[in-house]
Amino acid sequence: MHNEPHIVSAFDRDLETVQALVMRMGGLVEKATLDCARALETRDEELARRVLADDSAIDALEAQVNEECARVIALRQPTATDLRTVLSVLKVAGGLERMGDYAKNIAKRTSVLAQFTPIEGTAGTVRRMAKQVELMLKDALDAYIRRDAQLAADVRSRDQEVDQIYNSLFRVLLTHMLEDPRNITACMHLHFIAKNVERMGDHATGIAEQVIYLVTGQMPEDPRPKDDRTPFVASVND
Amino acid sequence: MNDMRIAERTVGTNAAKISARGVQVYYGETHALKDVDVDILDRTVTAFIGPSGCGKSTFLRCLNRMNDTVAIARVEGTILLDGQDIYDKRIDPVQLRAKVGMVFQKPNPFPKSIYDNVAYGPKIHGLTRNKGELDEIVESSLRKAALWNEVKGRLNDPGTGLSGGQQQRLCIARAVATSPEVLLMDEPCSALDPIATAQVEELIDELRENYAVVIVTHSMQQAARVSQRTAFFHLGNLVEYGETGQIFTNPKDTRTESYITGRIG
Repeated sequence: MHNEPHIVSAFDRDLETVQALVMRMGGLVEKATLDCARALETRDEELARRVLADDSAIDALEAQVNEECARVIALRQPTATDLRTVLSVLKVAGGLERMGDYAKNIAKRTSVLAQFTPIEGTAGTVRRMAKQVELMLKDALDAYIRRDAQLAADVRSRDQEVDQIYNSLFRVLLTHMLEDPRNITACMHLHFIAKNVERMGDHATGIAEQVIYLVTGQMPEDPRPKDDRTPFVASVND
Repeated sequence: MNDMRIAERTVGTNAAKISARGVQVYYGETHALKDVDVDILDRTVTAFIGPSGCGKSTFLRCLNRMNDTVAIARVEGTILLDGQDIYDKRIDPVQLRAKVGMVFQKPNPFPKSIYDNVAYGPKIHGLTRNKGELDEIVESSLRKAALWNEVKGRLNDPGTGLSGGQQQRLCIARAVATSPEVLLMDEPCSALDPIATAQVEELIDELRENYAVVIVTHSMQQAARVSQRTAFFHLGNLVEYGETGQIFTNPKDTRTESYITGRIG
């Protein structure tokens, strides 16, 4: 990897600008991830509303990143590391935008869930899962800034922990629904929430993979460790 | 946009037209080219890039023995064209240059008519028996150089009266007229405007069907646009040689990376 400045210093400024935008997006998404889970656990409708409202800032930043990247490509014709930087910035911004949308969706469902009796233990588990995802995202973004492929590979391997929490939550929700059909609405919402967090983990992993591409010029070839077994679950006893 | 070059970039299967091994060039005391090994593939555009004085033009000029004309230049190593050593004593450099044509930086048509510019090579090499055959070669060469339609009505006008871009294509027609197998181009577009440059680049891509084309260029974007293989020279060394897409997305050598991304290396 190269960190020497370009001969044309405006090129450096352009690349730094788009990367700074992505990092700002990253900060907002980290906050949204933690906030939506906290709002769910503490049944804080006001906080959920704020997460909902703040998503537009993430979307606006993504639009700005896309525009800046298009300009850099058109005006500077980046190659090699510079090209990979621009491509990875675009993909990371896309991933962050999706994560923001999932947080927003969780916040929406939180408002609905506030009208139901809490399902014991589930919101705490979702929050644990969200914390895990937020840590993965934080490390992925740190790896991006430091151009640290090792840390990125570590993030990639941690996604299976999120999958495991999701698996157990899936079973817990099934059990609750079987025990008392009046829980079904709340459990369905909680399941979508859990699934959203699980997907957020996948996007954090995708960002880590972009770091590996940026640093090495190659996407990781080995299959990522995955542990989502719910597609094969037919009953609670599986 | 109808650029299918990316799909056509798989050129690794083409056979080597020129094989250079251990090529050294000295200009007096100066060691200008150090131990260059390279295989130039047939029916492929190969670009040589690198900063000024890196040896890329020197190496290009080795390929048709243009360095013979420089008194203080000394060339060592072997360069094989279709397996034959071009520095062998039995090789006539004039015949060699008919096989390995060259186009220079500045368009340099002879102060003759458009027709005579193209006809000159075939005439002195005795490639035709009569005027009819010569007419045919002139027309087909001008067609290959994508110039025929613009000049067919005024073949007797002086070549120097054409526009810069047309003059350069006339020089390409002149190089093509002796039925070469390899075309060397030293900065063929540096004196041309963007439209003329695009026309010459399109032409280079068409010439690839019949020739091995080697182009020296200072424009990295041009190298990226026209070539299938790129060689990066630095301080007389061939630093990296590979598929153009790989060189421009993921170069292996940090010196290549610094150069193509415009960093102070």
